[in-house]
Amino acid sequence: MSLPVHPDTAPAHARLPFPSGASVGAVLVTAILVIALIAPWVVPYDPLYQNLLAINTPPGPEYWLGVDHLGRDVLSRLIMGSRTTLAISVGGVTLAFFIGGCLALLGLALGRVSERLVFGGIDLARAMPDILLALLLIVALGSGAVPVAIALGVSFSPFFAYVARTAYKREMAQDYVRAARLFGGGRLHVLLRHVLPNIAGGLVTQAAIILPRCIVTESVLSFLGLGSSPDAPTWGRMISDASRFIEQAPHAILAPMLTLVLLTVSLLLVGDYSRARLDPLRGARNRQGVMP
Amino acid sequence: MNLLQDIAFQLARALMQAFAIMVIVFLLVRVTPGDVVDVLAIEGDLTAEQQEVMREELGLDRPLVTEFFNWVRQAATGDLGQSLRYGRPVADMVGNALPTTLTLAASSFIIGLVLAFSTALTATMTQGRFTTSLVNLLNIWSIAFPTFCVGVAAILVFSIWLGWLPVLGAMIAPVVIIGIDNAGQIAKPLFEELREAANSAHVRTARAKGLHPVRIAIAYLLPTAIPIALALSGLILAGLVAGTLTMEVLFGLSGIGSLTLQAIHGRDYPVVQGAVVVIALGIVAINTVMDILHRLIDPRLAR
Amino acid sequence: MTAPLLKVDNLCISAPSGPIVQGVGFTLERGRTLALIGESGSGKSMTALSILGLLPPGLSHATEGGVIFAGEALPLGEERRMRTIRGKRIAMVFQDPMACLNPFSSVGSQLDETLRRLNVTAREVRRERSQRLLTEVGLPDPPTILRRYPHELSGGQQQRVMIAMAIAGEPELLVADEPTSALDASVADGIVRLLADLQRRHRMAMLFITHDLAIAARLAHDIAVMQRGKVVEIGAAQVLMSAPRHPCSTRLIGARRMLGAPRSPAPTTIESRVLVANGVSVDYAPRRLFGRPFRAVEDVSLTLGAGNTLGILGESGSGKSTLGAAIAGLIGISGGCMTVLGQERTQRLHTLQGSRRRECQLIFQNPYGALNPRLTIAQLMAEPLALMGVAAAQHTERTTVALAEVGLERQHMMRYPHQLSGGQRQRVSISRALLCRPRLLVCDEVVSALDTTVKVQILKLLKRLQEAYGFGMVFIGHDIEVVRWISDEIIVMHKGRITDRFAAAEMEADERDTWTKRLLACTRVPSHSPSTAHACG
Repeated sequence: MSLPVHPDTAPAHARLPFPSGASVGAVLVTAILVIALIAPWVVPYDPLYQNLLAINTPPGPEYWLGVDHLGRDVLSRLIMGSRTTLAISVGGVTLAFFIGGCLALLGLALGRVSERLVFGGIDLARAMPDILLALLLIVALGSGAVPVAIALGVSFSPFFAYVARTAYKREMAQDYVRAARLFGGGRLHVLLRHVLPNIAGGLVTQAAIILPRCIVTESVLSFLGLGSSPDAPTWGRMISDASRFIEQAPHAILAPMLTLVLLTVSLLLVGDYSRARLDPLRGARNRQGVMP
Repeated sequence: MNLLQDIAFQLARALMQAFAIMVIVFLLVRVTPGDVVDVLAIEGDLTAEQQEVMREELGLDRPLVTEFFNWVRQAATGDLGQSLRYGRPVADMVGNALPTTLTLAASSFIIGLVLAFSTALTATMTQGRFTTSLVNLLNIWSIAFPTFCVGVAAILVFSIWLGWLPVLGAMIAPVVIIGIDNAGQIAKPLFEELREAANSAHVRTARAKGLHPVRIAIAYLLPTAIPIALALSGLILAGLVAGTLTMEVLFGLSGIGSLTLQAIHGRDYPVVQGAVVVIALGIVAINTVMDILHRLIDPRLAR
Repeated sequence: MTAPLLKVDNLCISAPSGPIVQGVGFTLERGRTLALIGESGSGKSMTALSILGLLPPGLSHATEGGVIFAGEALPLGEERRMRTIRGKRIAMVFQDPMACLNPFSSVGSQLDETLRRLNVTAREVRRERSQRLLTEVGLPDPPTILRRYPHELSGGQQQRVMIAMAIAGEPELLVADEPTSALDASVADGIVRLLADLQRRHRMAMLFITHDLAIAARLAHDIAVMQRGKVVEIGAAQVLMSAPRHPCSTRLIGARRMLGAPRSPAPTTIESRVLVANGVSVDYAPRRLFGRPFRAVEDVSLTLGAGNTLGILGESGSGKSTLGAAIAGLIGISGGCMTVLGQERTQRLHTLQGSRRRECQLIFQNPYGALNPRLTIAQLMAEPLALMGVAAAQHTERTTVALAEVGLERQHMMRYPHQLSGGQRQRVSISRALLCRPRLLVCDEVVSALDTTVKVQILKLLKRLQEAYGFGMVFIGHDIEVVRWISDEIIVMHKGRITDRFAAAEMEADERDTWTKRLLACTRVPSHSPSTAHACG
C-alpha cells in the first residue's frame, strides 16, 4: 500500500517555504483554467494548420512561441492542448474519486465480508504498478481522450479507496458515533451526519493531491505515444512529437514542458495552502499539541 | 503470530498477487480491439482466408480460459511464447533486455535511497531551514518535474547546447534523473516520520540520559527510518517503473520498457504479456522480500 | 548550612503564543524531596524539563531566569555542556514509560548503553551492574528481563526499568515528571514506594512533579503549588497540607478532603429497579479467523434502583468499561441475562426498543471524543433533539435551558468543542445525555481526564442532577475516593469478575477483599512526615 502523501501527518505549513507561493499558484491555475475554457476564441492560428513555409521558426513577433516541425503554431497548440490535458486529467481524478470512494463506502457499509472482498481485490490489483496498469488499460480500450481518462481513473482509484477506508474506520470508532447510536440514531443517520461530512474533507484533499499526479501521468502516457489522438493535442503529445526535432526546434518542446511544470507546481502550492486553511480541526490539533 | 506463519502468509499473498497480475495482464491484452493479424493484414495485404488460417495457427480462436491456463502453464516453465513479429521466443527477448533495465533500476534505486536518507537525516538532526527546504524541494521536484521532462531538458542542455554527453546510449543521465526522482518520492515522508521520532518520548529520554547525538541517530532514529523506508518501497518501485520506462524510450536504451512499448505499438501481444508480467512479478517479489525484512527488523510486529 | 543543591530563580519559559512559566523560583537541598503540584497547564512539567534543557522545540527560556545547580549556573542552552550533566548528575523519569523506552532494542541493550555512556568500559561489569540495578528497582529475575523488549513488559515493569536507568549514574538530583499517572493505582503505589526508598538510600534530592496531592503528601518534605505558570505557595508538606494559605492550594486540598470524607448515603428507597443483571458475560470476537474469543466480563450479577448510584471500581483491563458499554447496549452480551428499564436484553437483540432506547445514556471518559469536532455546541445539542422528533423551532430554547442547568451560558452555543475547556466539554456531554431524560445513566470514567478541582465540580453536578431527575447511575472509575464519594453501593472488578461488593460507607471495614484493601492503601493520605511514611513502606 502506498499513498503518495499522508494528509494527516503532514503539517500543512511545512511544504510551503514561502506563503506568497500559494497566491502566485492560485493566479496561475486560474489563468490556465480561463484560457482553457475560452481556448477556441483566443487561439491566434488554427492549431492543426501546417504552414510549410514557417517550419521550425523560432519564437518571434508573428509566432510568439514559434512553429513546430510540421509548420504548426506552438502557442495555438499549447492553448488548445491545455483544454484536452485538463479535461482528461480532471475527468480521470473525478472518475478515480467516485470509483474509489463508492467502492470503499459500499464495501465498508455492507459489513466485514464485503470489506474484505473489496479491499482484498484492491490490494491484489495494487500489486500491478500504476503506470503498467494504465498502459494495459489503454492498450485494451484503444487510444483517445476517453480511454486515457478511464485508465487514469481506474489506476488512481485505490488512493481514494484507502483514504476513504482509513477515515471511515477512524470515524466509526469515535465516541460521538456511539453517542449518536445511544440517542437513537440509525446507521443512515450516523453515516450522513458524522461519517460522510468528516470523510469528504479527506477525499477532497486527496483529489487535490492526485490532480497534479494525474496531469503528469497523462503527459507521460502521451509522451509514450499512448495518449489522445494527434488531432486533439495534449502537452505530453506535443513534447513527444517535438522530441525528435529537439535540435532544430527546441522552443517547440520547451514551451509545453515549462507550462506543464508551472501548472503542476501551482496546483501543489494551492493544494497545500487550501488543505491548511480548510481544515477546521487545525485549531484543535494545535491545541492538543501544546497541552502537556 | 510466529515468524514462520508470517512468512508463509506473505508468500501466499505474493502467489495470489502473481495470479491476479497474470489474470489482469491476460484479460486486458486479449480484449484489445484488433489483433496482430489485423495489423499484419494492413501492412502485408493478406486475404481474408489467409487471415483465418493465421488466427487458427496462433490460437486466437480458442476460448479465453483454455488459452489463459495454457499461457500460465507455459509461463511457469519459463516459456512465454513466441513473438508474432520476429518469431523469437519472448523469454529470450525479455532476457536480453533485462540487464539494461536492472542496471538502470538498481543504480538509480541506490542513488535515490542514499540521497533520501542523507537529506532526511540531516534535516532531522539539524532542524535547519536550509535542509528542510531541501527535502521540500526534492518532494515538489519529484511530483512536478516528471522524469521525461527532466530527461528532455538534460538532452537539450548537456548534449545539444553544451555538447557533453552523447544523446543516446549513455546511462549516467537517466540513472541520476530517476535517482533524484526516487529520492523526492520518499525523502518527505521519511523526514516527517524521522522528525516525529526525534520529538518522541524515547528520544527525549535518550537525551535525558546524556547520550551523544550520533548515538541517538544510529540507535534511535535509524531503526525508525528503516521500517518506513521498507514500507515506502511500493512508492519507490512505482516511481522506478515509470522512470525506467520513459528513460529507456527517451535515451534509446534497449531495456524492457522500450521492448514493451515497441510491442504495444506493433500489437505483438505475447511480448507485451511477457514483458509486463516479468516486471510486475519482479515487483511482487521485491515487495514480499521487503515485507519479510520489515517483520524481521521491528520487534513489535512479533506478537 | 551549605548552599542548596538546586536553586531555581525567576525562571521564565515562553512559547510563541505567550509565556508558560513566569518567574518560578524554589530551592532544593540535598537528600530532600520537593513536590511540584498543579493542575494541567500550570507549567510544572515545563519547569521540570527546562532544568535538563529538554524543552520541546519552539519553547525558549527567557534570559533573566536561571537555574543554579550545585553552586553553578546550568548552561541550559548549550547542548554539549548539558550532555555532561544529564544522566550523570541530574537524571529524569518521565510519565509514559512505554513511549519512553526505545521500542527497537531490548532492555539489556538500553541499560548497557546507559552504562557505557557512564564510562563503564568492561562488558562483563556492565552486564553485572545492569542485573544489580534491576534487582535494586525490585524486578525479579533480571537475566530474563534484560532479554525482553519494552513492549513485552507491563507498565509497572517498564517504569522500574526507566528508574533503573535513571539511578545508574548515581545522580545527585532525580527529576520525576508524573511517573505514576499512566499507571494503575496499585502499580503506582509500588513505584512511589520504590522512589521514596531509593531517594533515602542514595541520598538523592528529588523533584517530584505530580497533580496528585495524596502522592505528593506521601513523598515530599516540601510542596510547591503551581498555578498558571507561577508558584503560588511553597512550604513544608505538613504545614501546607494542614493550613494552606493560597486559595489555589485551599481549593486543591479542599477537593481532596471532600472526596476523602464519606458522603452521607442517599435514602435508599427503591421503588423500581432500572437494572438487573444475572450472570452476565461479555466476549470480544477473536482477532484472527480461528482465534478464541476473549472473555472481558464473566458472571456478573448486579441490581440498581432508580435514584441510586452503583460504583464499579477496577483497574485498566478489569472489564469495567466493557460492562458499562454492555449495560448501555453498545455491545451485546454473550451469556446470562440483563434487564434494563424493564426490557430484557438477549444475545441477539442488545439495543433497547422504541423510546426506551434513549432512556439509557452513557457519558464517555473523553468528552473531546464524544463531541463531533466539526459541529458547534448548538448543532451538537440539536442532534438528540432532532432524533427525538422535537421541532426545530424549539431547539434553541431547549438547548439554552439544558445548558443553563449544567452551568453553561448562551455564548457557549456558537463555539466548537475545541474552544471549550475539558470541564466545559464534559458539561456539554452531560447536558446532551440529559436531553433524552434518561432513567439510567452510565458514567464511564467521566472525571478521570479532569483536574481535581474540576473533577469535584462535575461530581457535585452529577449528584445534583440525579437528585433532581432521579435517574439510576452506574459510575465506573478507577479512583477509589471518587467512586466512594458518588456511589451508594460499590462493586470491585478484577479480571472481568466481581471480587467484592459493599455499601460505600462500609469501605473501610475489615471484611474487605485483599484486592480492595490494596487499592485503598494506595490513596491514604498520611498525617505524618514522609520519613516515617518511608519506614512503613
